Formats: sequence, structure tokens, C-alpha cells
Amino acid sequence: MSHTGHSGESPPASRRRRSRPPHAQEETAEAEAAGERLRQLNIEEGDDRERNRMIRSQYRELISTVQQNREAMLNSKSNRLTEALEEANRLFDGVCRAREAALDAHFLVIASNIGKEKANELHSEMSAFDSTAFAEDLLTFMGINRTEVEESDDCEDAPGGFLPSDAWQTMGEEAPKYFRRAPTFHYMMGSFKSEPPAPKQRIERQKKASRGKAERAMPAQLKRMEESHQEATEKEVERILRILQTHFENDPNTPISFFDFVIDPNSFARTVENVFHVSFLTRDGLAKIKLDEDGLPIIEPLKPSEGGEEDSRAGARNQVVISLDQKEWKEIIETFQIREAMITPLYQSTDEDMETE
Amino acid sequence: MSQRKRSKGLGYSQMTDGEDDSIPTQVERRSQDQVSELVQFLLVKDQKKIPIKRADMLKNIIREYRDAYTEIVRRADRTLQEVFGLQLVEIDTKRHIYILINNLPRAEGEHLCRGKEKEKMGLLLVILSFIFMKGNSVKDSALWEFLHLLRVYPGKQHSVFGDVRKLVTEEFVRQKYLETTPIPLTDPPEFKYQWGPRAEKETSKKDVLSFVAKMQGKDPTFWASQYSEAEANRATT
Repeated sequence: MSHTGHSGESPPASRRRRSRPPHAQEETAEAEAAGERLRQLNIEEGDDRERNRMIRSQYRELISTVQQNREAMLNSKSNRLTEALEEANRLFDGVCRAREAALDAHFLVIASNIGKEKANELHSEMSAFDSTAFAEDLLTFMGINRTEVEESDDCEDAPGGFLPSDAWQTMGEEAPKYFRRAPTFHYMMGSFKSEPPAPKQRIERQKKASRGKAERAMPAQLKRMEESHQEATEKEVERILRILQTHFENDPNTPISFFDFVIDPNSFARTVENVFHVSFLTRDGLAKIKLDEDGLPIIEPLKPSEGGEEDSRAGARNQVVISLDQKEWKEIIETFQIREAMITPLYQSTDEDMETE
Repeated sequence: MSQRKRSKGLGYSQMTDGEDDSIPTQVERRSQDQVSELVQFLLVKDQKKIPIKRADMLKNIIREYRDAYTEIVRRADRTLQEVFGLQLVEIDTKRHIYILINNLPRAEGEHLCRGKEKEKMGLLLVILSFIFMKGNSVKDSALWEFLHLLRVYPGKQHSVFGDVRKLVTEEFVRQKYLETTPIPLTDPPEFKYQWGPRAEKETSKKDVLSFVAKMQGKDPTFWASQYSEAEANRATT
């Protein structure tokens, strides 16, 4: 009958075929008997199908177990492979169709592969090759220092010891002795095409050289300028303070006329500089400028601890802008008959300033 | 006239006749040029140690003189041996793939090698020893487990070798030092490693065994089955 042709999965067409006969059976007795037989076969077929499905699932489970526990099976001490084979043998008793038999064959292939591997392992164990000891000996040859403990993130899996950076070079010196390797062919002078880049390099180098020298010259000049700006000012201010103090000590009762002090009859520029430097003194509270009875400014040095606080509290600190042009300068010289500068000039000229070093 | 000039250089026929563009002479002359070209071609191709295919030789050098192919190759091999001390060896007779090996006995002393060649050979020697001592075939997991002990990890960049996994699974395999075949019916797929044909030609089981013996400070006969295998192998090559 058509049922024997079915291979388990019932395609929709055959399902329909099976459902049709029951209707036909109602019409004739023959058909009825046939239908009865059909139904019985259907039930058997159902049982068969159920049973075969179970066998198939059991085989698949067995195969998956074997595959996943491959390493465990390979262990020479385990009997699991034999057990699996016995299980398969048992299952095979229930097999009556090609589909399940195919699974059985699949399992057999896997089992025999594992069997072969097990046999292979037996072979190497006979020759007793200890790969761990071999690795240790290799490390020793490569110059491992076992007294130092290597501090690295793979400390967990590496045996204690510091492997030097030329470890593999050491191995590389030994290795070629064991190979008949053809030395590789390379042109000694390189290939033809590499010539153009060479001149470019030369030009670049020259540029770099000249740039370097220029840069080197720069800092030296800058430094000197810096010094002449800041430190020179400070030094000058200090010097002027000392001059002022000296004069005052010599004659503490006579106040020094501001103009007498700052004006340099020989140079307007230096006069301006003197005023500039003196302004620092007053700002820092080291000197005091006030007006005398005639309304002319006088200057005297201050001890910073002394009058400083008082004056600031009393609000005696004022800001004054002094303007002086050449005409006024000359007039002052005339009026006060200033013959010589109280603040002796430090340098002859600004040019010489640079040269003295 | 020009023909005579050329033939003087190559030392062929002393025909003074203007009609000496007879076919054999031309072909001979041309084939001698081709031998020289082939020798150069092989030397350059060997730089990366990737085996040379006959198809490449035919396409680039021999071209229309395919019939003279065997003769040209034979003469090129002779030149390589006599001039350079190298040998052209066919490692795949079916697909006609060749390599160059060193014909001279190994000299003690400085071996001139570029880049990381020497270190790579060191690693290769270690791998080949492991494979041989473990029965000529190892699973990739076993190989990496062994290399772990030497601080070489497949997932980690190595200070000398860089991408080690690539070096072992690609470079060494392409150069035919190692051969890798998948193990059937494994999921996830596993591979096994064996000696490649280049390794078979460039070194021997006996040499590798003596290396292992030297490292471990033992006599090669300590490993009985490997020793007998190496001796048998020596007899056949």
C-alpha cells in the first residue's frame, strides 16, 4: 500500500489521501474493510512514527553528548566511549528504517574518530615525551631568569621567571643550523628607483642645520634684553634708593629737592628715567614726596616699617602724574641752577649696555 | 651581422653564413636567455618563501617556448646548484609547485638573515619539534597550549612575532612549512597540524630529534619510537 512508501514526515497530500478513504468506506463494504485495515495501519504507523521519533531523538542526544564531551572521552582512564557504543548498540535494536540507521551510522563515524584519537594518544604516551619539561628546557636555553618574578598581567599562566627580550634571538641563532634554507636574494644596493629621494634628504638636512643655528642665536640675545629690562630696573631703583639714603644720612635735616634729585642737566632722557625709577620708590613706600613751605616738592627716604602704615591709613597716599618736557626741563635747570646730577649715571650709553657682558 | 655578434657571446655555432637564423640556433640562444631569466625569477620569487607555481614560470618567463619547458627548468636548476649552491625541488608533483632549498652543508657561524627571519625560524623549529615528538600530528588546541608555556599567546600581540596566530596559521602554512587540515565532524571546527612539504625537504626528523635532545640534555635514543622513526625516515630521503 501507499503507506510503506512514506518516510516519516507526512506530506500534506498523503494526509489528505488518508483522510479521504474513511468517507469512501461508508459507501461499500469492501471499501469498509479496506478502510478498517487502513485505520489499523494508521494507528500502527502512528506508533511507529512515535517510536522512531524517540529513537531518533535518543541518537541525536547520544551524538551531542559524545561531541561535547570529546575531551572527557579521550581521557585514557575513562570508559565513556565504550558506554556510548553500548548505548548505541541498544538503540539499534529498535531501528527498522533507513532514517534512523543513518543516524546510527553518523554516530559510528564520530565514535571511531574518537577511537582513533585515543589510539594516537596511546602511541605518543609510549615514547614518554613530556612537553612541559621540553618547554622549561627551551625557556632555560633562551635565558630565562627564574629568580626574578616577572611583573606582568599574564602572571597567572606564566611560570615564574623573567624572559629576556632577546630570548627568541637566542633561539634564532640556534635554529638555522637545522634547516637547509635557501638564503633570500636581495639587491645589495637596493633597487634602482630609490635614488630620487636621497637629494631631498640632503636639502632638508641643510635647512634644519641653518634653522638650528639661528634658533640658537636667538635665546642668547633675548636673555640679555630680558635682563636689561627687568633686573636692570630693579637694580637701578635700588641704586637710586641708596643714593637717596646716603644723601639723607649725610644731612638728615635738609630735605632734598625733588628736582635737584631727579634732574640730570646733561641728559633729558636720563632725567625721565630717574623720575620713572623714583616713582617705584614712592610706590613701594621707600621714599616720600611732599611739598615744602614754598610749594616745591621734596623727597626723603622712608623706613618701610615706620611711616608707611600711618601714611596709608591717613590717606596720604596720592597719585600724581608728573609731566616734563624738554622746555620745562631746561627751565628747571636754569631756575634751580642744577649743575650736576645727583643720580650719577650708571652707563655711558645704551649701546655700550649691550656690549658689556 | 647582428646575429653573429650575439652568438659570439653565447659561444654557439660558428656559422659564418648569413643564413644562420636556422630555427635550432635561435631557439637555443633564446632558451639560454630564458634560463638566466628563470634563475633570476626564481631567486626573487623565493624572497617570501612562498612556493613557486609552474604556471607562473610559464606565464612570465617561458611563454611561447612551452615545449622547451622541462629543458629550461633542468638547466636553471643546474645553474642554481653550480652557481648559488641552491636546489629547485618540486614539492607537489600534481600541481607542479617548487621551492628553493640550500644544497650546501650547514655552515657554522653567522647566517645573514633579514628582519625577523631568524626568530621566526626559531619558533618554527620549536613547533616542528613539538609536532614530531607528539606523533607527527597535533590538534591546534594542543599546539597553542604548548606555546602558552613559552609565553606565546594566539590572542595577544607578541613583542617579537606580532600577530602569532597569523604567523602560524597563515604565513607558515602558505610557505608550506606547516600543513593544517580540519578534523572532521568537530563542532566548533578544529584543525590538526603536521609538517608541511617544505619542512620535509629543509629539515629532517633526525635533525629535529637532535635539537630536542640537545635542549633536554639527553641522548636521542632516549625517545625510542621517535628515534627509530627518524632513522627510518633518513633511510628513505
